[in-house]
Parts: sequence; structure tokens; C-alpha cells
Amino acid sequence: MTVRRVVLCALLIVIAVIVEVTVLAPLDFPGATPSLVLVVVAALAFAFGPTTGAACGFAAGLLLNLAPPTTATLGISSLILTVIGYALGRVFDSDTRPLMLTTLLTSGAAALSILAGAALGGLLGNPRIVWGDVPVLILTAALYAAILALLVIPVVNRLSRAFVPEAYPR
Amino acid sequence: MRDIRRARIVLAVLVLISVTMILLDLRGGESGPLGPLRAVGATVIGPLERGAATVVVPVRSYIDSVANIGDKDRVIADLTVENDALRAQLDTVANDRARVADLEALLGLVDANDYVTVPAQVIAVGPAQGFAWTVTIDSGSRDGVERDMSVISGRGLVGRVISVAPATATVLLLVDATSTVGGRLAGTSQIGIVSGTGRQDVLQMQFLDPLAVINLGEVIVTFGSEGDRPYAPGIPIGTVKEMRGTEGQLTRSAIVEPYVDISVLDIVGVVLRAPERSEREPVNVTPTPTSTGGAP
Repeated sequence: MTVRRVVLCALLIVIAVIVEVTVLAPLDFPGATPSLVLVVVAALAFAFGPTTGAACGFAAGLLLNLAPPTTATLGISSLILTVIGYALGRVFDSDTRPLMLTTLLTSGAAALSILAGAALGGLLGNPRIVWGDVPVLILTAALYAAILALLVIPVVNRLSRAFVPEAYPR
Repeated sequence: MRDIRRARIVLAVLVLISVTMILLDLRGGESGPLGPLRAVGATVIGPLERGAATVVVPVRSYIDSVANIGDKDRVIADLTVENDALRAQLDTVANDRARVADLEALLGLVDANDYVTVPAQVIAVGPAQGFAWTVTIDSGSRDGVERDMSVISGRGLVGRVISVAPATATVLLLVDATSTVGGRLAGTSQIGIVSGTGRQDVLQMQFLDPLAVINLGEVIVTFGSEGDRPYAPGIPIGTVKEMRGTEGQLTRSAIVEPYVDISVLDIVGVVLRAPERSEREPVNVTPTPTSTGGAP
């Protein structure tokens, strides 16, 4: 991991967390809050592979669980996003990643993250979970993640090529 | 192939750390081994959120004002009608109010307008998929905010403070599934417990008296807690929308519509002190207990 890569990832993750809680969540979209953090983690995993994907997922999840006003158990988001970052980083080993496919994968990951979050919460005795709302949350999260992915993945891809050229040997 | 092996090791280590954190956090909560980490997180990230809010909030209110521009005429018309009605009411009320003030003084009740509050702006909201209804406000311990203080808005009770950082504080909203408030019907003084349902616009109230006669539309105010924490007395909560269960049933409950619409929360006030309350003395008369005065 080069210093420039770490700096780029850290910067994008911090911005994503802040924007998610101060901009996206107060807008009160129907259903789930658009998960910018997950999309950024996915984009970084696509750009840099599974190791960076897992590390970024862990850091982003930790930050998301620490940023006020969350009350979630520390570590739940880290666990979910670490696995997602690793898995999405593993999907391709080649450089040919059509945007349609990465978008679909991100959308699917968003849906799974909601399900995993609710299941883990239920397992750990979180009294807040409204199971009746979970299907709507899953559908809306997948939709919002797809829209965000179309915007974010190309931008992150370009940024990573510009700032961390050594990750793309040619 | 070496890369893949390294990635697997990283994955395993990070998953292990996450699981450890979950277990530690579940055991200890705020006072547990991860408490300091949480405090540091809130202290560092809170100011970042405040910084973002200084940019976001003006834009948000501008967009709101543009989006509502078509409604302006209708709102003005509605307000004019309401104003006329209220003015007519005021004339008849003046006399009653003097009497109520006397009785309140007699009973040591408080006026909701006299709460000492710290104003605060809502700067961040928890993601909906977390199922928790919590918000961050831009006042913290250096503004005198402490844990378990009530938070109100111009319309009524918003929630209570559950954690405090130097520059920010986290508020648990009324509608959160873990929130419970002692409530009292302003008209008949029936008491009960108002709890959140996890849904945005619905509260539930469980009445202690199974034979209570409860009318739809009745106003519910806070009962008040020892030392005004976590809830100061006399703050409007909402109105009874629908009764559940029949009279005489072991537990009677009602669906309550909160006064505060949490989707448009903007400026709130943290109650530092409830109004001074005189020592209660025995009174001879048996007046019908009155409300402590409408919305603050």
C-alpha cells in the first residue's frame, strides 16, 4: 500500500461518511438512506482489489459506527463492509470491468448489507428492528446504490488512476 | 496468487477484529472497554459534521423555500383564517386565562414557556437502515448540555439527549423503538407510558387505568421525571389518534400522533432547567386539573 493510495482512500471514506449523515440522511428519502459509504467502498475495491477493498470496508464501517448520531453496536458495519470490500475486489482480476456489471454488483451488495445488518441486529438482540420495513429498505437501498454507483464508480476510478498510477502497471 | 493469499489474511484479521469489537461493545456499552473509542469518535467527527452543516443547512433551507414557493399563497390564506379564529378566541380566553393562572399558581404547576433552553441546529441524522431514530445537534457539553436532558421544538417534545461530546450531542427521538416517556392526558389527567414504535409518525400510549375514558384528539403532555431528567414536566407530546382495545381490558392503549414532525426537524431547544416550581401546599378546593398551557 502506497502512501498516496492510503490518503486517497481515507479522504474519500471520510467525505462519504460525513455526506451520508449530514446530507443524505436528513433528506429523508423514502425507505433506506442512500448508502454512499458502501458505494465508495465498492468503487475503491473495484479500483484497487480485495486487500484494499477489505481494509477500506473495515475503516469505513468503523467510522460509520462512530460518527454521531449512530447508536449501532460498534463493529457491525465494519464486519459487513469488510466482507463486501473483499468480495467485490475479488470479482474481477482483469482490468475489463463494464460499468453496468459493477453497478449491478454494488446494488446487490447494498441489498445484502441491509439484510445482513438486520439479521445481525436481530441476532444480537437489537430491539429496534422493524421486520416489516426490511423488504422496502432492501429494494430502495439497491435502487439508490445503483444510481450512486453510476455516478461514483467512474469518478473514483479516474481519481485512483490520476493519483495512484503505480497501481495500474502498463 | 501471493496477492490473493495476502488479501485472505487481511480479510480474516479484519473480520476477527470486527467480531471482537461487536462482542466488547455488547458487553460494555458506553462504560465498557470501547467507551473511550466512541468518545474520541464523537469528539473528532462531531466538528466535521458541524463544518459540513454550515454549508449544507443554508442550501437545504434554500431548496425547501424554492420547493414550497407554490404553497405560499395557500399557506397565507390558511394562516389568515386561523389568525381570525384565534383572535376571536383570544377575547373569550383572556378571562379564563386569569383564572387558570391563579389555579396554576395554587397548584404549583408550570408554564411551558418558562423553560430555560439552549438552541441547537440538527446537523446529522442516523441512516434509516440502522433502525435507530437519532439525530446530532450542534450544541455539546461546552454549551451546558448534559445527558438525559429533554429536547423540545416549537411544537412539543422531540426527545432526550443520550450522549454528549464537546461540540455536539446525540438526541434519541420520541419515535425510536427504545424511547419511553411518562405521559399525562392534559384534559383528564389520566397517566400512561408513551413509547416509540420505530415508525416515523406513530407513538403508542399505554394507560395505567384500564377504565379510563379517553377522547380522540386529547392532548398528551409529559408527566415529568425526578429532577426534570430525562423529561421535564408539562411538555406537549401529541394527540390521541386512535384507541386500541376495549374499555375494561387489562391494558388499554392508544395510537398517538406526535406534534413534532421529525422529517422537518431543524432548530430545537435543549431544556437546561424547567421553570421554578413553588412548594406545593395543600389546597381546599378540588379543581379539575388543568393543562399546563398549550404549546411552548
